[in-house]
Amino acid sequence: MFGYTFQWKQALARLPQMLDGAIVTMQIAVLSMLIGIVLAILLTTFRLSGSRVLGGVATTWVEVARNTPALFQIYMAHFGLGSFGIHLSPYLSLLVGITFNNAGYLAENFRGALKAIPDTQARAGRSLGMTALQSFRHIVMPQMLRIAFLPMTNQMVWAVLMTSLGVTVGMNTDLFGVTQALNALTFRTFELFAIAAVIFYLIVKVIQTAARLIAWRLFRY
Amino acid sequence: MKTSILGAALVAATAFAGAAHADKLDDIISSGILRCAVVLDFPPMGMRDAQNNPIGFDVDYCNDLAAALGVTAEIVETPFPERIPALMAGRVDVGVASTSDTLERAKTVGMSIPYYAFENAVVAREGVEMADWEGMKGKTVGATAGTYEAIWLEGKINEWGEGTFRPYQTQADVFLALSQGQLDATVSTVEVANANVASGNFPGIRVVDKAPMVPDYVSLFTMRQEYGLLNYLNLFVNQQVRTGRYAELYTKWVGEGEPANLSIPGVYR
Repeated sequence: MFGYTFQWKQALARLPQMLDGAIVTMQIAVLSMLIGIVLAILLTTFRLSGSRVLGGVATTWVEVARNTPALFQIYMAHFGLGSFGIHLSPYLSLLVGITFNNAGYLAENFRGALKAIPDTQARAGRSLGMTALQSFRHIVMPQMLRIAFLPMTNQMVWAVLMTSLGVTVGMNTDLFGVTQALNALTFRTFELFAIAAVIFYLIVKVIQTAARLIAWRLFRY
Repeated sequence: MKTSILGAALVAATAFAGAAHADKLDDIISSGILRCAVVLDFPPMGMRDAQNNPIGFDVDYCNDLAAALGVTAEIVETPFPERIPALMAGRVDVGVASTSDTLERAKTVGMSIPYYAFENAVVAREGVEMADWEGMKGKTVGATAGTYEAIWLEGKINEWGEGTFRPYQTQADVFLALSQGQLDATVSTVEVANANVASGNFPGIRVVDKAPMVPDYVSLFTMRQEYGLLNYLNLFVNQQVRTGRYAELYTKWVGEGEPANLSIPGVYR
């Protein structure tokens, strides 16, 4: 029947190593979000540009990012590019994979947010003498980012959770990688992964609370 | 009336006591199925043939064990890092998965006497300057997460203070990474290294040297408290050697030559 004996002390002794891993996890998630937002704005601009080539690039990116598993995207960044002689470290492969995914989802969020902003806003800017770019930058984009703020929070949470896929490409310094390495060494599977789950939960809770506070600041008139 | 109630109670108590004393060995025999965790990307110990059927030393070993128990073997493909979790989760009864008998693992599961012993080889990518195992110093190296050789290799990297260690989830990923150039070198069992170099599936790799490691003794494993089954496994390993089946399987899967001695002079186990 149930033959597992818990050894929490042995697992808790590894907590400092797991917390170091949590810092790496946060680092990757934050970096992938920052780069992802820039790329998503670029992809959104490509779609609005009217150019068939640029629009095609943006659409392909979004389609692949949204319709294939994140694991596939990370694996391809490591082993797929590796087939062509492009070697990314596990850290970079994970970052590239998650950023690719983030950019795709965020571009769709931005597109939705843009649709929610009436055309008259941009036209009002133009009638005040702004160029199209100035009107986009100073009037449309701030509104777009505000509308897309909560979906961005969701994506940030997803980015944190996606870091767990790094083990498939040899990542062993993030929270999941450290946990898996400790598990391979000691096989205190339940205890170690339970602690990791609690840390993941707390990270996500902190992000959600911070987002709620920022949203409260942003959305009050 | 009272006698019949007492009789029924005695029958019930006996049945209950019988059920309470049934152990894993009894469970396997009565279920008619032995579920073995086997790693199938670890040739020649475990792999798949052209028809996708599991084959290899460990697969035959599981079949032999099932035949001895008078039950049917069920091969459960289990990657290296998931061998012991699969047992703890009740997905398999026994691990026949080239599992090194480390003291750390023995805290969690019960291990039989060794049923095989590996030596390890250093495998490098062509173009990487490496004359012997010490050439791995400062290089990017990797191995399958959680294996005996991975633990040794990571320890060496820490001892040298230079170089990078990358753990991959499967043996196939390690050799793919090596073949692609993501890794400069790896350490794997001599059997696996030779099989992978000869297969041609991973072009541009070569065996450089033997790794200076204590032979990697591997054991069958089951739940730590299942003494009945552990005793049976120990006797089974002993029987495999004394009947010549161990040597027979060695010739079939590894090749000509003498299989490694499974006993160590001067110790009981």
